[in-house]
Amino acid sequence: MASILRSSLLRQTALATAARPAGVPTCFIRQPIQRTILRDTARVSAFHASSRKNLLPPGPQVIKGTVNDPAPVPETSPSHGSYHWTFERLIAAGLVPLTMAPFAAGSLNPVMDAILCTTMLVHSHVGFQSIVIDYVPTRNYPKLRKACTWLLNAATVLVGIGLYEYETNDVGVTETIKRVWKA
Amino acid sequence: MAALRSTSSRLLATASRHAFKSTAVMSRSMASVADATVESSPNASSDSRMKSIQVYRWNPDSPTEKPRMQTYKLDLNKTGPMVLDALVRIKNEIDPTLTFRRSCREGICGSCAMNINGTNTLACLCRIPTDTSAEMKIYPLPHTYVVKDLVPDLTHFYKQYKSIKPYLQRDTPSPDGKEYRQSKADRRKLDGLYECILCACCSTSCPSYWWNSEEYLGPAILLQSYRWLADSRDEKKAQRKAALDNSMSLYRCHTILNCSRTCPKGLNPGLAIAEIKKEMSF
Repeated sequence: MASILRSSLLRQTALATAARPAGVPTCFIRQPIQRTILRDTARVSAFHASSRKNLLPPGPQVIKGTVNDPAPVPETSPSHGSYHWTFERLIAAGLVPLTMAPFAAGSLNPVMDAILCTTMLVHSHVGFQSIVIDYVPTRNYPKLRKACTWLLNAATVLVGIGLYEYETNDVGVTETIKRVWKA
Repeated sequence: MAALRSTSSRLLATASRHAFKSTAVMSRSMASVADATVESSPNASSDSRMKSIQVYRWNPDSPTEKPRMQTYKLDLNKTGPMVLDALVRIKNEIDPTLTFRRSCREGICGSCAMNINGTNTLACLCRIPTDTSAEMKIYPLPHTYVVKDLVPDLTHFYKQYKSIKPYLQRDTPSPDGKEYRQSKADRRKLDGLYECILCACCSTSCPSYWWNSEEYLGPAILLQSYRWLADSRDEKKAQRKAALDNSMSLYRCHTILNCSRTCPKGLNPGLAIAEIKKEMSF
């Protein structure tokens, strides 16, 4: 507990004083064995040099059931598992031809542009969803997880509306990139 | 030892016993050293190659004390070539309180998995870098709960292994009432899967497993999962797939491929996971 409460400055001062006898021994060549012992103890350095930042501490180890019980198997839900993965891969693979289509055709079709926008939007939504699932686990932060999920949903809808407006009332995504590219 | 040999080799051995005894047996003794006093002092002799080895130390008897790195110095000329040799020598001759797991010392048991110079590997299969100017750093497997020094707690890892039912599941008996036969092609599908020794090097190198080890199975367990999915004799494929079909168990793999890079046995858990995903996708 003491090591947690002690500030890093204090700890470093303590270390410096502990290390001082090892810095001296140039004049103590008469006792080489003692010198090496001192130096070896000084080499036992503190593990953390930087100050302690306890961001999202891991918490104690929790083993559910006895050590001989298998870990619980989650319920089967293909919509979050295999279907979700297949859909995500199809969207990602579909982006490749969609991105190349305007170059290949040499012209800008508003329908193709809209499809490209939508696919990109879904692709990024799935990507962000993956980040939320990875870093905001339900088992530790159920409320924060819910908040993050809905924030992401709201953002996706907002971007969707924005893209719709942009596609219908302005030049569209591909044309914008083209203009920025040539600007 | 002689009784275990076959007759012909025993005859041969008696014929050449004298020559064998005088040269081979003597030269094959273990690379340990008799004088234990000089190895910890850096000024032993002019041709000694002193290598500093930093080892992670943490003692559960004084849990409030911070983990620390302790430096040991060994003469590489008197130490075996592998990191495990060095650790065993430290424990025997310098510091008996150093704690680590080891058993077979030949890469078959998977006990001595640890993080050596930033890479998860088996200490018994990892050579000591001969560059004596650089320190070698040894940590326990990353992101595990440490029991003591280099010993990680793998309870949950084994529980997860148990949850995938790592054994042959069949309802129908074999046609001739004998063993379950397999074609050579089917047997070949298990190569690169059955060799896994569950040392947990791959799982503990996976960032996704670091964040979600409670629910994500991790590369080692998924490789084993695929070992049973790929087995032509197993009849519970659908149930095995259904157990993986959720957002956490399998699909937290983001093809980071640290697992394939670190595997000390040269296996490819990343490929096995990709095969499972492919099998489950359509």
